[in-house]
Amino acid sequence: MTGGIAPARAREAALLGAGAVVLTLGAGALLLLAGGYDPVAAGAAMLRGSVGSWNTFVSITLVRSVPLLFAGLAVALAFRAGVWNIGAEGQLYAGAVAGVWVALTFSGLPRPILIPAVLGVSCVAGAAWALVPTLMRLRLGIGEVITTILMNFVGIYMAAWMVHGPLQEERGVFPQTDRIVEAARLPTLIPGTRLHIGFALGLVIAVALAFMMRRTRFGFHIRAVGAAPEAAAVAGRIDPARIVFIAFLASGSIAGLAGAVEVSGLTYALYENLSEGWGYTAIAVALLAGLRPGGVVITAIFFGALRAGAGAMQRDAGIPAAWVDVVEALVILAVLGLERVRAARPGSDVREGET
Amino acid sequence: MPVTSTFRVWSSWRARTKAASVSEPLVRLRGVQRRFGQVHALTGADLDLFAGEVHGVLGANGAGKSTLFNVLGGLLAPDGGTIHVDGVPVSLASPRDAWALRIGLVHQHFTLVPALSVRENLALGTRGRSLDEIGQAVEATMDRTGLRVPLDATVASIGVGDRQRTEILKTLLRDPTVLVLDEPTAVLTPEEVSGLFQLLRDLAGEGRAVALVAHKLDEVLAVSDRLTVLREGRTVLAAHRNDVSARGLVVAMVGDGIADEMALGVHVDAPTGAGAGAAAASRPEVETDPEARQVVAQLSGVCGERLENVTLDVRAGEVLGVAGVEGNGQHELALVLSGRRPPAMGRAEVPDEVAYIPQDRRTEGLVSEFDLTENIALGLARLDRFGSGWLMPWDAMGEEAERIRTRFQVAAPSTATLASALSGGNQQRVIIGRELALGAPMLVAENPTRGLDVAAAAYVHGELERLAAEGVAIVLISTDLDEVLGLAERVVVMSRGHVIDVPADERTRAGVGALMLSGGGEVA
Amino acid sequence: MSQIELVLFLESAVRLGIPLALAAMGETITERSGVINIGLEGSIIAGALGGALGALAFDGAGLGVMVGALAGLTVALVFAVFAIGLGADQIITGTAVTIGGLGMTGAVYQARFGATGTELSLPTLAPLAIPGLSDIPIVGSALFAQAPTAYVAYVMAPVAWYVLFRTPWGLELRATGEAPTAAEAAGVRVRTVRFAATLFGGAMAGIAGAHLALAHAGTFAENMSAGKGFIAIAVVVLGRWNPILVLFAALFFGAASALQFFLQALGFDLAYQIFLAFPYVLTLAALAGWVGKSRAPAALALPWEPHR
Repeated sequence: MTGGIAPARAREAALLGAGAVVLTLGAGALLLLAGGYDPVAAGAAMLRGSVGSWNTFVSITLVRSVPLLFAGLAVALAFRAGVWNIGAEGQLYAGAVAGVWVALTFSGLPRPILIPAVLGVSCVAGAAWALVPTLMRLRLGIGEVITTILMNFVGIYMAAWMVHGPLQEERGVFPQTDRIVEAARLPTLIPGTRLHIGFALGLVIAVALAFMMRRTRFGFHIRAVGAAPEAAAVAGRIDPARIVFIAFLASGSIAGLAGAVEVSGLTYALYENLSEGWGYTAIAVALLAGLRPGGVVITAIFFGALRAGAGAMQRDAGIPAAWVDVVEALVILAVLGLERVRAARPGSDVREGET
Repeated sequence: MPVTSTFRVWSSWRARTKAASVSEPLVRLRGVQRRFGQVHALTGADLDLFAGEVHGVLGANGAGKSTLFNVLGGLLAPDGGTIHVDGVPVSLASPRDAWALRIGLVHQHFTLVPALSVRENLALGTRGRSLDEIGQAVEATMDRTGLRVPLDATVASIGVGDRQRTEILKTLLRDPTVLVLDEPTAVLTPEEVSGLFQLLRDLAGEGRAVALVAHKLDEVLAVSDRLTVLREGRTVLAAHRNDVSARGLVVAMVGDGIADEMALGVHVDAPTGAGAGAAAASRPEVETDPEARQVVAQLSGVCGERLENVTLDVRAGEVLGVAGVEGNGQHELALVLSGRRPPAMGRAEVPDEVAYIPQDRRTEGLVSEFDLTENIALGLARLDRFGSGWLMPWDAMGEEAERIRTRFQVAAPSTATLASALSGGNQQRVIIGRELALGAPMLVAENPTRGLDVAAAAYVHGELERLAAEGVAIVLISTDLDEVLGLAERVVVMSRGHVIDVPADERTRAGVGALMLSGGGEVA
Repeated sequence: MSQIELVLFLESAVRLGIPLALAAMGETITERSGVINIGLEGSIIAGALGGALGALAFDGAGLGVMVGALAGLTVALVFAVFAIGLGADQIITGTAVTIGGLGMTGAVYQARFGATGTELSLPTLAPLAIPGLSDIPIVGSALFAQAPTAYVAYVMAPVAWYVLFRTPWGLELRATGEAPTAAEAAGVRVRTVRFAATLFGGAMAGIAGAHLALAHAGTFAENMSAGKGFIAIAVVVLGRWNPILVLFAALFFGAASALQFFLQALGFDLAYQIFLAFPYVLTLAALAGWVGKSRAPAALALPWEPHR
């Protein structure tokens, strides 16, 4: 599938993103009006609930942005390589299950070993979850869009089975695991808040990915294969299958990390519906960032704020939290629409004359 | 319109056109303009088509012939100018509009659906008729024109000659009064071309207006009543065939200065081919005895997709020309020779690094959303001399890109210009510059001048000559027979995946054409 | 397996297969035009809510189905405007439409019935037994004593096949999906054909959703489409873009889903969640094992614009 999404250059990406946010807020306000709500009250509640105070911002908005940051980076990496990984949701669950299993099984290990083990195994699990669609694409030629989506459902039910069955808490009453030991929990990043070092880890990965894309041979190969696989193979003598394989699995492992970081940084136990669709929101996060890792940091926080604000909106203004999903869809559509308008701008069409 | 009335309509047409005033053209285009990005393809094209005539449209590559025909066929909207049909001003916003005015375009690039059968392709877009009716009409038209195609085969499974016939039949089925053919002869053998021309004369005899672009001046002169010459998007000459000389036409096509350097009437579309041929004779030889030169690449018994038992040597300093009708395995041969694809069977000994100028610049040569530096890096960063670390040698790549931009005179403001912002000729310069920088002992070039203007084509030919003189083995794969004959010292023909050597005394259009037809089986 | 159990199994296999068949049939037409609508899930859930609200408003399940079809079509229209009108990437657009469709229906539902979701009781689509056919032993009642929407699927399969392969309209549709530029050159209005095919697919998905709400559940629940849109897209692949094979593929998946209840009834001690995952795993396995030879329309998922 050739993508219509070209990773924009930095300045254009920023403009595009800002434009999309403005469009979305406008469209969202209109929809709220149409639904009989007061958009101003909704906006106020949203701001209060997301950036109303330092503590709100750090403990709610930033904390909620952590899984979006990881999953968004995973999606951005895959899309850059021309891999339509819609499967971050399933990979995230695989990572969460694997991570919590390590934390529960090897609870006696000291923290400097246990935490890396939890995170490392979750990476492997996320990659393993991505392996099925990867092989189906590379060996059988079956597009990854459908297969990754199907794997999402399998992942969600697998996690549900785990918390009802093999990993259910000791008393066997609630659909969740036991709480993981202290040594498996991520330390707090900013004392006095709930923000854990998972956020910092996400930032490190973002910087590393940005560096990789810009400075390393491998990152260059990813960009070439994603932009033009034939040219990469013919002119660059790059093996696109190899790049797709590595990028797909790397994307899966970062998504897997999202699940483990959430469990060992925040919830300390695996619940049946751990994710509120982060794997799908991640697509909006990545697109709004122009598929640039640095941008993902900003857009993940933006969506974290939206999610945080949605709770307040429901509480204070009586607006169903499901509106946030609508806003996410609007963001994606706005990015797509603006992208197309940009492409159709007079003068940007530099097609060769057919003579 | 019911099929059964096809012939009635034709006859009524003849009656009408005979009655019509001779001075009133069926189609009149005036001052047509069309721009693609910064490229001005048409700057003021005029064209008159009269009922009953075959009208040849001439021009060098890039003169705007196809653009003009696509405007007439409703595929491209003009930026300016007027179109009159039967004296009435019209706007052709889509192929449907053109069809409504009974203007039928036979495209240069096939517009058939590969997965559908020939019959289905012929039926496509003829709504209002049942498939049975279409079947009858197809039979009738095949009988009348002598164009026969296998109706139940899928288009994907038939050869290019059959595709061309299908394309022409598809257009004729709709009974156009104005028939416009864009390069219909490019994929036909010389014998097939003369059959087609007879058909065109017959169609014109029925009172239709027939216009065609063809590659060769002599071909066009043989079939046309009147001629229009385009140069740089503008009509520079419109005359009856008897009122102009071949020499005069060439001057009109390419301008005075270049015409003097050309071998007259031999090769008008890429005039540098002949000029380059002359240069080839005078250039210093690396090694006078070709047999003594070192073998750079060797294929023996190579089989694979569209390749049948190919055995071939390529020697240092020679230009090996590979002629053939498109789609006979040339692209696959290029991939194997350039080391981009291992052969399914047989042995291929090729140098580690082979420079390759692919036919499709925009999908195989360049990444359009990369800038110049990145596109240069795509080819060069893997070379040992830029280190083998895991970091990209961006500084060195920037320098290489700047060097190539200057040396190969790429019209781009800087190395940060995106490849998509370059014209075709400049894209080709980037590719050539990059591939030459590889320092490879062999270069494989596939239709390297297709779609380039005269100056750019001359430049490419010059570079190939220069390289060969430096001892690089050149494999020139081209569907342009004159380009091959003009540049190559040794010529082979590809036909149905077979490679056939052309003996020295048969290195003529007729000789090679015959091999293209007979070679490894029937081509078309 | 007793005869009663077999009959019950077949009956539930068909019942579960019908919504997939309806949605996949529409998607087959959509994909044949060169458009892959991943937003099908959004159309299904909108069809379910539309069907529920319509049935309540008009106090009749039949009109509910109409409203459901309209709702599915509306969601597909949003997809079409972006993916076909603007030429945006179809996969991303479809994902957005799914997210938006699920969110929008959730929001509307909560606004109308409260966040907790009062138990909603709807007029249902009563099974309609076809005289004669429904009396055939074993398969009769399974196939021919279903909700009326089932018969839409049965009838649609041969009709869609005929239109697709035996009419000029179908020829234009297939040409559009294989080679849009060639189709355009032959005078086909490519975007119009793609719009029509996509809206048709949306309407069919809407009917599928209405069927879920009105014939299955008798109520609406958030996310009740539960990934059926995605399975339907896989069913199209398994049915090799052929409406008749698609019907059988959908019924096959209905059977796979019915198996879970059936095996549970037989006392197999497997966790409920594993049964829930079963159809998805089976779909993956079927894709891997069966797709090999089939070929998608060549221009599928490729944005197309007239190069004017």
